[in-house]
Amino acid sequence: MFLEVKQLSKSFQKDLIVDRLSLSLDQHRTLSILGRSGCGKTTLLKLIAGLETADQGSIWVNGEEMSGKTPAERKIVYLYQEDLLFPHLTVRGNIGFGLKLQKVAPSQIAEQVDLMIERLELQGQGDKMPQQLSGGQRQRVSFGRAIITNPRLLLLDEPFGSLDVGTRQRMQELFKELAAIYGITSLFVTHDLKEAILMGDDIGLMKKGSLQIYSDKQDFLLDPQTGVRSEIEFWESLLKPNY
Amino acid sequence: MSNIKRLALFFLGLGILFPFAYLAFLSFSGAWFFPEVLPGYFGLKNWKEILSTESDMGFSFFSSLGISLLVATLGTGTGFIWSKSIAYHAQKESWLVLAYFPYMLSPVVLAACLNFFFLKSGLSGTWQGVVLGQYLVAFPYSVIFFQAFWNHRTRQFEQLVLTLGGSSNQAFVQVLLPLAKGMILVCFFQTFLISWFEYGLTALIGVGKVQTLTVKVFLYIKEANFYYGAIACCLLVWPPVILLYLNKRFVYNRLV
Repeated sequence: MFLEVKQLSKSFQKDLIVDRLSLSLDQHRTLSILGRSGCGKTTLLKLIAGLETADQGSIWVNGEEMSGKTPAERKIVYLYQEDLLFPHLTVRGNIGFGLKLQKVAPSQIAEQVDLMIERLELQGQGDKMPQQLSGGQRQRVSFGRAIITNPRLLLLDEPFGSLDVGTRQRMQELFKELAAIYGITSLFVTHDLKEAILMGDDIGLMKKGSLQIYSDKQDFLLDPQTGVRSEIEFWESLLKPNY
Repeated sequence: MSNIKRLALFFLGLGILFPFAYLAFLSFSGAWFFPEVLPGYFGLKNWKEILSTESDMGFSFFSSLGISLLVATLGTGTGFIWSKSIAYHAQKESWLVLAYFPYMLSPVVLAACLNFFFLKSGLSGTWQGVVLGQYLVAFPYSVIFFQAFWNHRTRQFEQLVLTLGGSSNQAFVQVLLPLAKGMILVCFFQTFLISWFEYGLTALIGVGKVQTLTVKVFLYIKEANFYYGAIACCLLVWPPVILLYLNKRFVYNRLV
């Protein structure tokens, strides 16, 4: 397995946020994790990224133990719900930021940034400042900035949470395209049922710090805890003639 | 805009500008005795005298400028760095209460409390002592000022840089400093003013040997030399006015 999380726990004061959680994920696949606010999804991602320290348990990426490694050494990029574009840099500057940190030659940065701008369908926007972009464009730049650094693992924390329905749908498609092109391995956290089903190759449900991973999507659909059944019943009730 | 509003604005503007204009007028005046409405002399005599015979006025001006620039640079720089540690510290509230301490006491009382240590360390009556004394007031101001910068969003920016492969230093130089640029300039301006207009603490620690422009103004007023006092006031007032203009023109307008 490419990513393995074993018996991971984390408490803040007396609150147990992540409770002996284990998961595994193959390379170039996306695991979507469905969970309500406060179930520990963000803490789990931050533990994997190295932004929080686990109380116990271990994280392995490609056979390498991550505890003791700094976030920069892990090569795991964490994407927030907000796009967090650097307001003092242009679109080009934002996308190439990670490469600049890695001291890649400027000519190479320019080449890779141009290619990424094309793939993100942002042609002609390269010299704009973040505040001149729409919400969807900003989120695309944020994706490009993360993917261009070729991370081993991408952690997405409800990245489309602030977008409208249409933009959200387009971004979901774009992410799947980019994931296929760049062979991305990712954890995709969301509280949106439909998004969880659409985005993940594998799917899990997180509740009170524990994660249940389903062997296939059929299992997920049939489990009453996921809310899929009640969602279907709701839409069916709308179609009934006596409604 | 109605005529009444225009008139009200005119008088408001006049009220603000009058003290500056009057100071300038007074600095060019001489032999102005009660009950004369206008001075007996109006010209450059006072300014010429001060620039030729009272050459320490120029020295006071440049001493004040040097001390204020140093205090503002040190206060803003170290305040910015320390404010981060305090903002993310578990005992943040206690540290901030300490930062308010010089203002609760008032700077001059703080100076009186610390005077013994300044005397013992040989810093009393030196410009280094005055810089240190004023720094003890400017630094906490800067720490309090930057608390607003170290918020949840700033922390997310910093963490993002780390996961993109950057070090803490790279995050500081390439992201945090550019993000804080506007606030740093405003803080520099404010701490410069704190130092520039500081009198009580400077007089106490400088013991008359460090004669900043503010000390000079009070000296002339005590001597009842209004004309020289007005010149010192002009020199005291105009640098902050220029800084205020630059701040408004290049910093504030970009922040809003």
